[in-house]
Amino acid sequence: MANNKTAPPALEAPLVPLKGVRVDALVALKIIKHASGAFPSIVTGQLLGMEVEGVIEITHSFPFPAVEQTPTNDFGDNNASNTAILAPRSKSNAWYQSEMMKCLREINVDSNVMGWYQSTNLGNFVTKELVENQYYYQSSTQLNERTVALVYDAARSTQGALSIRSFRLTPQLMNAMKDGKFTTESLQKYSLTYKELFQELPVTIHNSHLVNSLLHQLSSSPSTLPSFTSSLRQSTLPPPLFPNYDSLDLSIDPFLEKNCDLLLDSIETHYTELNNAQYYQRQLAREHAKITAWQQKRKAENISRAALKQPPLPEDEWQKLFKLPQEPSRLEALLNSRQIEQYAKQVDGFTAAVTAKMFAVNGGLAKIE
Amino acid sequence: MADKDSFIHLARPLPVAPVSSAYQGAITTAPLNVVVHPQALFSILDHSLRRNTDQERVIGTLLGVRSEDGTDVEIRNCFAVGHNESQEQVEVDMDYHKTMLSLHLKANPREVLVGWYATSPVLNTFSALIQNFYASAETGTFPHPAVHLTLSTQPGQDIEVRTYISSPVGLTPDRAADSCLFLPVPHEIRYSDAEKSGLETIASAKNDPSRTAAAMNDVHALEKAVSDVLDMLDRVFVYVNGIIGALNEAEDDPATTAPAVVIAKSPATTAIGKFLLNTLSLAPKVSAEEVERMFNTHIQDVLLVSYLANTIRTQIDLGNRLAGVTFPTTGEDKGELEEGVREGGDGGRGGRGGRGGRGGRGRGRGRREPIDF
Repeated sequence: MANNKTAPPALEAPLVPLKGVRVDALVALKIIKHASGAFPSIVTGQLLGMEVEGVIEITHSFPFPAVEQTPTNDFGDNNASNTAILAPRSKSNAWYQSEMMKCLREINVDSNVMGWYQSTNLGNFVTKELVENQYYYQSSTQLNERTVALVYDAARSTQGALSIRSFRLTPQLMNAMKDGKFTTESLQKYSLTYKELFQELPVTIHNSHLVNSLLHQLSSSPSTLPSFTSSLRQSTLPPPLFPNYDSLDLSIDPFLEKNCDLLLDSIETHYTELNNAQYYQRQLAREHAKITAWQQKRKAENISRAALKQPPLPEDEWQKLFKLPQEPSRLEALLNSRQIEQYAKQVDGFTAAVTAKMFAVNGGLAKIE
Repeated sequence: MADKDSFIHLARPLPVAPVSSAYQGAITTAPLNVVVHPQALFSILDHSLRRNTDQERVIGTLLGVRSEDGTDVEIRNCFAVGHNESQEQVEVDMDYHKTMLSLHLKANPREVLVGWYATSPVLNTFSALIQNFYASAETGTFPHPAVHLTLSTQPGQDIEVRTYISSPVGLTPDRAADSCLFLPVPHEIRYSDAEKSGLETIASAKNDPSRTAAAMNDVHALEKAVSDVLDMLDRVFVYVNGIIGALNEAEDDPATTAPAVVIAKSPATTAIGKFLLNTLSLAPKVSAEEVERMFNTHIQDVLLVSYLANTIRTQIDLGNRLAGVTFPTTGEDKGELEEGVREGGDGGRGGRGGRGGRGGRGRGRGRREPIDF
């Protein structure tokens, strides 16, 4: 359970680099169901499967129960909404995980932990919790190092295309997390920028043969032709699974509005971070000024002491007298930058689709002069 | 599928055992509707794939929600339960069932036990035994009926889903314990809106030989949807043209004995014709100026938001680049380097000089870059 700082780095060397993530249809549906059942709060769960030649195959999953508030966790600002996101690391959950895995092993499910999943709304998943959870998975010696975090975007998926993405922490971020500090120096040391926080792996959805044949049966057309117009409207047949026309929907404003809200929130966070940094900077400058003053005073004193043939006082005592302020962690700022990038890309993708749709509608409508 | 079977479902049997008054409200003889969610079916199929080689069928527990009056049952989830079957006896791992049930209920507190499934269409004595276990008062769904779902997974045959509830039979308690009468009940496969996009992606893999599909992005999804709509329009077009062509031919040559519908590939149906007509008349008639105005305001909104988002992104990117940059100073050690930068950037250290600039850029002023460089 402990974040073992001395995880053998040589372990990685003979392994092939991870190429992608293959998610079973069942797992995709399980995640969707879990996330939509708890919408809009965030849910988490465990992913099971195996790794075959650099591809992580996720064949089973189970949800984590939402954890009760425990006083032991080290975030002061917990509220009810983010208890679920702490589930992967909570102690009470460890029991649940091991029990569940034991049970699943009995019915021949691949019981290797391949990571965990999290739901999100409109891409606001770039949080400290995600990084810490994934760090816990990737650094733990009990679990497999080669684990992924799957992020399912519930809000975006209802708008058209399914949005499941998988992330891993980059080696740079892993190193920085091991040190546990994010100062300017350590960022430069690991050459860590906000673009190199996560490594995204391509996700594919995989069907088993049985699922495939079920799907073929579900979508087979009705054998008899309808005899009444009303029977076409009140058809009890499920609408075809594929294709899905949600992506032809023309409602633009709600999405953009929410996205702008989120973006503004991020900029707000950015300012807070910035103010912290500036505060630190002023504090540091003040301390430096004090130190310089002290040093000059001491020097003057020493000169006068030398004139009186007295032994000089040590000049490095300032290190004991003055304490330089601690540099605030830059992690939050980095994550926030990454988050803003995520929102901006989201808006970009959405605009591309929506402008096309709007031009199509404008061109295709029958107009009367 | 099961809807090929014809059966009429009038009323369901009452439980035999006396029901305490607390449950009295839950007892109805109203017909039962079963709704199956695809996730449960997929789970069962997955379990069927993972069965031991010597097992004919596997069983498991169905979880879901039941409406207040008990007439609607939604099967939402399920888990596998190990069991052994031989000629003479059946063994179901009850402890396992209980453990899993409590684990599942912990994560999904809203779901309840609704029944069980088996992956073979056969109903035999063992089925009755298990059914009675699931329907019993202590361990099962009593006073509600337990739903039994069978899914045939025989290779080479259709996957058939059937749902049953049971009615007790047998004169002596001994006989009643190991027998019951399975009554078929109608079921429906339904999926929620949230699952739609997921199922779409899953279904898009069904015609692919590798059985995999990549998650699509917005633009690709749109492209796909548009091309599918065009395909369907083409199909309707061909259908209508075929019928019209056939009718014309029949008129031109009244001597032909073949009726028009035979010449057309699909028979003409008035229902479809009317439906198409109704759909066509739904197309709105709008004034050109109105549309132009709406179009312009909306497109401007969209483009503005996109522009701003990208500007913000660029600012953030620039800010981060400045924050992480190592300032070129000749051959000094790090401390001196920072010293030099401190004088250059207004009073702060190198990294933070960049950070200070970031805020300014966030506002879109960008006033500090010239100081740093």
